[in-house]
Amino acid sequence: MPEKLCTIQTKTDGIAVLTIPGNKSASPGELLEALQRQISFISGKHEIKGLLLTDSGCGFCQCHTDMSMSGHDAATLSDLGQQVMFRLEKSGKPCIAVIEGECTGLGLEVALACDFIVASRSASFGFPGIAAGLIPFCGGSQRLARLIGKSKTKELLYSGDIIDAGEAHRIRLINRLYDQGHALTQTEELLTHICTRSPHAIRIGGEVVNTGYDIDMQAACMLERDAFALCFSSFDQREGMQAFLDKRAAQFKGE
Amino acid sequence: MPYKKLHIETRNRVGYILLDAGSRFNKLSITTIRELKLAFAQLAADVETSSVVLSGYPGESFAVGADIGQMVHFSPNDAFHFAELGQSLFDQIESCPKPVIAALNGITMGGGCDLAMSCDMRIASENLRIGHSGAKLGIITGFCGTHKLPHIVGKNHAREIFMTSDIFSAGEALHMGLIDRLYREDEFWGGVSCFAERIASHPLTALSATKRLVNASEDTDLRTGCLLEREMATHINATHNN
Repeated sequence: MPEKLCTIQTKTDGIAVLTIPGNKSASPGELLEALQRQISFISGKHEIKGLLLTDSGCGFCQCHTDMSMSGHDAATLSDLGQQVMFRLEKSGKPCIAVIEGECTGLGLEVALACDFIVASRSASFGFPGIAAGLIPFCGGSQRLARLIGKSKTKELLYSGDIIDAGEAHRIRLINRLYDQGHALTQTEELLTHICTRSPHAIRIGGEVVNTGYDIDMQAACMLERDAFALCFSSFDQREGMQAFLDKRAAQFKGE
Repeated sequence: MPYKKLHIETRNRVGYILLDAGSRFNKLSITTIRELKLAFAQLAADVETSSVVLSGYPGESFAVGADIGQMVHFSPNDAFHFAELGQSLFDQIESCPKPVIAALNGITMGGGCDLAMSCDMRIASENLRIGHSGAKLGIITGFCGTHKLPHIVGKNHAREIFMTSDIFSAGEALHMGLIDRLYREDEFWGGVSCFAERIASHPLTALSATKRLVNASEDTDLRTGCLLEREMATHINATHNN
């Protein structure tokens, strides 16, 4: 059942926890479709303010890696995977991957499509598929190279090596490293904290960062200038600045 | 040139621009930005200056963002023009033919963080407190930060900095790659001057060419960049041998 591959729990504070352990007998396509359904569900819910993607400690987005399929089927699967990652990236809500166990292959691809990754010391990361002749297919090679640089990306992809959480933190693949047993609660606190900020500014800022990254600086700065000006027609800007001047906490609406 | 918000002086071929708004925090007001533009133009043209150090002095801050009291009343059109003014300063710093070092002696927030990122390098003291509070104020930055920060610290750390609006320590900034060097407080000013003077002792033609080439590497494909490097190296070599 796809629901077991990917379950969602909505908390009262507006945070949705998406637990995606996956299942070694599921195919990558089944897992991606389950994830796609959950993302569509979440995107339409105004009351969900932030997303946590987690593995509940027993591996993230596991699926069988038997990729014996025709070239046409592989292309279709890659199309689906890349679309799902773009959907996740464009959800407009802050989204953090919390990894406690193994985060490899498709799992690492999904984690890379989140705003950032945090982990407990027990986590591990890598793309071991190379031994079976496999490469990332959901945009992972592109996102990883932009995040940790080309050399480190090639080292991981050529070798298929699995690295531990400490090394992942050192090479800046993950933003934060937590002690075992604390990752989920501390990340939930972090996300709750982020959700007190302006959802409008977070959404626009995320889009400008993503779009601006791959274009030249002049064009990116023009885009930013226009988006900056747009903020000054929002409720959040007036409320945020007034609250700052009044030395009180802002009550944002995300509009 | 009479400046109200900053001091400027050249010592041992290093030009110092010291922001001093006369209060605890150096706010990047319209006046300060205009004075910074004049100061950079003056030092770019000064034959006695080979490198520039930009810092906040003597208060607790390098620079913070705009004056919120002013900004709360901005229309979208005001904001548009404010972003254009800030971006034109940062463009000027990037195209200044001399290396520019940001010496971060304290609080460096919002537009101040963007100002530091438009410099070629960032050296900080242990007092550094750095962050971007846009999401707390209901805005994004308008001073090129959404492009520069992800390229300096990576997209994921940039998103964390923007989304949390939190203040980060010097150690955290060093880990993320947001600063290049970190000095103890008592060694900070000496360390900054020593480094800036060492750079300033090198031939300016080579420094300028290096700055242009490395800046160009961001927006050019490798082959065009290499072509550019070949032409510049040939030109500089000819200049030195004649």
